[in-house]
Amino acid sequence: MRARALAWMRRRQGPDHLPVRLERRRLYILPTRAGLAFAALLFLMLLAGLNYTNSLALFLTFVLAGFALVVMQQCHRNLLGTEVTAARAPAVFAGTAGCVQVRLTNAEAAVRARLEAALPGGAPISVELAGHGQRQLELPVPAAPRGIVHLERVRLATAHPFGLFRAWTWLHTPIEMLVYPRPQGVLPIPMQAGFNAGPHGQIGGGADEWSGLRAFRDGDSPRQVDWKAYAREAPLLVKEYSDASAELREFDFTSLAHLDVEARLSQLARWVVDTEAHGERYGLALPGIRLPPDRGPEHRHRCLAALAMFGLEGARA
Amino acid sequence: MTAQAVPRPLLWVCAAFAGGVLLHLDRLPLWACAAALILIAWRLLRARTVGWYPGIVLRAVLALALVGLVLVRFHTLNGLAAGGTLLVLMAGLKLLETRTARDEYVMVGAALFLLLAACLDREDLVRTPLYAVQAWLCCAALAVVAYPECPAPAAARLAGRALLMALPLAALLFVFFPRLPGAFWAIPQGGEASTGLSDTMSPGSIVQLTASYEPAFRAKFHGAIPPPAERYWRGPVLHDFDGYTWRGGAGFHPRERLENLGITYRYSVTLEPSRRRWWLALDIPAESPDPHVLLTYDHQLLADEPVTETLSFEALSYTHATTAQAPDPAGQRQDTALPEGNNPRTTALARTLRRRAGSDAEFVRAVLEFLRSGGFAYTLTPERLGANPVDDFLFNTREGFCGHYASAFATLMRAAGVPARVVTGYLGGEWNPIGGYFVVRQSDAHAWTEVWLTGRGWIRVDPTAVVAPERLERGIFDLLPEALSPRQRLLHSWPLLTQLLQRWDATNAWWSAHVLRFDYDAQLGLLARLGVRTPDARYLGWGFMAVLSAWLTLVAWQVGRSARPPAPDALARIYTRLCRKVARVASARMSHQGPLAFASAVITQRPDLSEPLRGLFERYAQLRYGPSASATRAADIEAFSRAVARLKLPRTAPADAREPLSSI
Repeated sequence: MRARALAWMRRRQGPDHLPVRLERRRLYILPTRAGLAFAALLFLMLLAGLNYTNSLALFLTFVLAGFALVVMQQCHRNLLGTEVTAARAPAVFAGTAGCVQVRLTNAEAAVRARLEAALPGGAPISVELAGHGQRQLELPVPAAPRGIVHLERVRLATAHPFGLFRAWTWLHTPIEMLVYPRPQGVLPIPMQAGFNAGPHGQIGGGADEWSGLRAFRDGDSPRQVDWKAYAREAPLLVKEYSDASAELREFDFTSLAHLDVEARLSQLARWVVDTEAHGERYGLALPGIRLPPDRGPEHRHRCLAALAMFGLEGARA
Repeated sequence: MTAQAVPRPLLWVCAAFAGGVLLHLDRLPLWACAAALILIAWRLLRARTVGWYPGIVLRAVLALALVGLVLVRFHTLNGLAAGGTLLVLMAGLKLLETRTARDEYVMVGAALFLLLAACLDREDLVRTPLYAVQAWLCCAALAVVAYPECPAPAAARLAGRALLMALPLAALLFVFFPRLPGAFWAIPQGGEASTGLSDTMSPGSIVQLTASYEPAFRAKFHGAIPPPAERYWRGPVLHDFDGYTWRGGAGFHPRERLENLGITYRYSVTLEPSRRRWWLALDIPAESPDPHVLLTYDHQLLADEPVTETLSFEALSYTHATTAQAPDPAGQRQDTALPEGNNPRTTALARTLRRRAGSDAEFVRAVLEFLRSGGFAYTLTPERLGANPVDDFLFNTREGFCGHYASAFATLMRAAGVPARVVTGYLGGEWNPIGGYFVVRQSDAHAWTEVWLTGRGWIRVDPTAVVAPERLERGIFDLLPEALSPRQRLLHSWPLLTQLLQRWDATNAWWSAHVLRFDYDAQLGLLARLGVRTPDARYLGWGFMAVLSAWLTLVAWQVGRSARPPAPDALARIYTRLCRKVARVASARMSHQGPLAFASAVITQRPDLSEPLRGLFERYAQLRYGPSASATRAADIEAFSRAVARLKLPRTAPADAREPLSSI
């Protein structure tokens, strides 16, 4: 029943492309349990008023009925027009809980109190959006095995102001959470002297050399952004340096033949994390994939993503 | 045990519940209210510390014990008083186990139900502000229960706003929601007696009544208004006398056919609840105003049920009527009966006077003359009467109240064989010029007599009027100022206050007539006035739906409007206009560009426009962000507006100005 209702909403609304503004036709509203109890109370009051033909009791009942209807409007209005500007899930390591980051924007002057966001089956996270404000919510995702966690939908709801009604909507935006292998293993980091292939692999020179600009990507450090260029109304660019002095390493999947696949991936992840932490350059070689030596968060992500997706490509297709 | 703050929802729920209990403080048994308030206090104190709470067994035992107490006190759990007591006690117990939001919602529900019970109990205008405050408190508590972090002013504002927006709907629903013509579940009414006429009269019983300033009923005449001496409002008519007390007397006799000798008065009466079956009407009602009300042979209006709530009816009355019929023999016997051997001196006097008189009518005059000249005094505090009260009154104390005179006069009549009966009711009434009606108070209670004169029928004789003729013209308080309590005397000594009181009474009467008794018939009447030819419940239903949809649309609009950002001010509108003009000939302003940056960008694009634009944008920046010189600001904005309106920008730059651009 519930699944059918969800499927119906999905068909009705179609997939969402962020940013999404919550329009009327996608908001649903029903009384909460407290609201149903309130309705029952109103019915009893109406019966009493009619039975005693008592005008004041009837008037009280009508005032409270009107109150409930106003509350319904306010509840609906509290959610209506909210904008969801971003919904993404940063990658996590297997075994640690992740989160979906949902960014909500209030384009209007009125405060939106107690908006709740929740993943299916998850606990709702409540937030208050000031007028013209925006907030980011982090919805917890339980720890998952290596690979990709597909999150179909996010529920946005509110029962503000009196908890008698709950308005909600489903955001049907596919969110993928990449789960890196858990960095594990005690093997020493291998050295591979003389490896000098690759576009950035220039040996020699003492200091970091400026190697060019590239477009900003999520995860880049703000310190690397070329703010001067941005001030000239250029797009957000990131300065790239090639550090020629670092040692070059390549971590090879096949070199760990004595371990099983998951253990090998974990060991490789360990090496990637540790080497990156030391600021050194490293490359990765997996069957069918070769990532030339580099460093930086972007490279680290590419390597860990390759490890995460290893052997799962078919399943994903 | 460490002290901690009371959870805010609990605090609010306790406040709402306490408000509900306080509304009933003077009606429910004091022990029940006290128990509820103690439970509230205990729960609040307990919430400050971590400690013992009563377990399920103790709570169950307490609940059973309290139900038992209610049963012992009321012998029922049904009805307003017993039900209200039970609700107060059980909700108080519920407070002990209130932990979750669900429990708190239940408590707010209980508070709302107590409010409903208060409305059912008393609907006086003066109490409605209390009810409004309590409704507000309950809704604010609801807000805090739903949102525990909500600050108190915000909760009050939320609740107040929602309630205010609900008011128009409530008023319209009140008019259009179809009512039921009658009750579908009879509920026992409270048995406590209130002041009013009783069906017996003994010396002194009316004096108790006159101490009360409560209104008994209000009467509004349509057309002729009877003169003061005719404003006799008939209540219980008493036939049986045991020498001390007059009683109603059972028996059914046909009503005589009457011939009206005077004016027929048309009027409406609004009765206050008296818990008695009599409907008060002017002297001789022409017909029964309601199928459930019997018009007896002695002109009483006797309803099937006691009057337990305010009701009103239309009536027709005569004040002078005659009948050519012979009296009913059985009734005659009843109305001449006196206890044997009682009041011998009175009997002797009556026989002497009757012998001297030529006819019954002359005898009546003779007796009245005896009362007038016999040194009788009118007082509210007569001496106690002895074993033969009428003898004692007529020959010893010679002072008394209307009851004494009516009783003595009727006894004298009967002793001479003239049928006589005592009528109790009200005399007079206070004219309310604001409402255009008479207020008849309990203090206007009166007793008079009717005697049967052959050929003329029953004739009203008021012996009190002979002793104290002023009584006809003025109220009892003018006549006997000592009857007033000090508070009432204060009220009467101040004309402005009297006027205010009259205004208040008129407002109350309006409230009672148009709000409290707005029933199915009133709804149909309203439909008829709105032009519906055949008003019935269907039209009410349509009206109800129309009103509901119109209001919902309005609320949706209103809620939506309040969420929109404020409208731009005049300066912003002028600036928008300027930017639009510029956008037509150069690039549009991007949202991150301030006025000066935008001006520079445009001038880079179109150097030929530098001269008018730079000045305008600088003026705008000055007006918007510069120090606001209040004296000239309005004029400056006006000048800026005119400059923008005059601004004409060529679509293309002159040829010579284009050269440098194209070379870049």
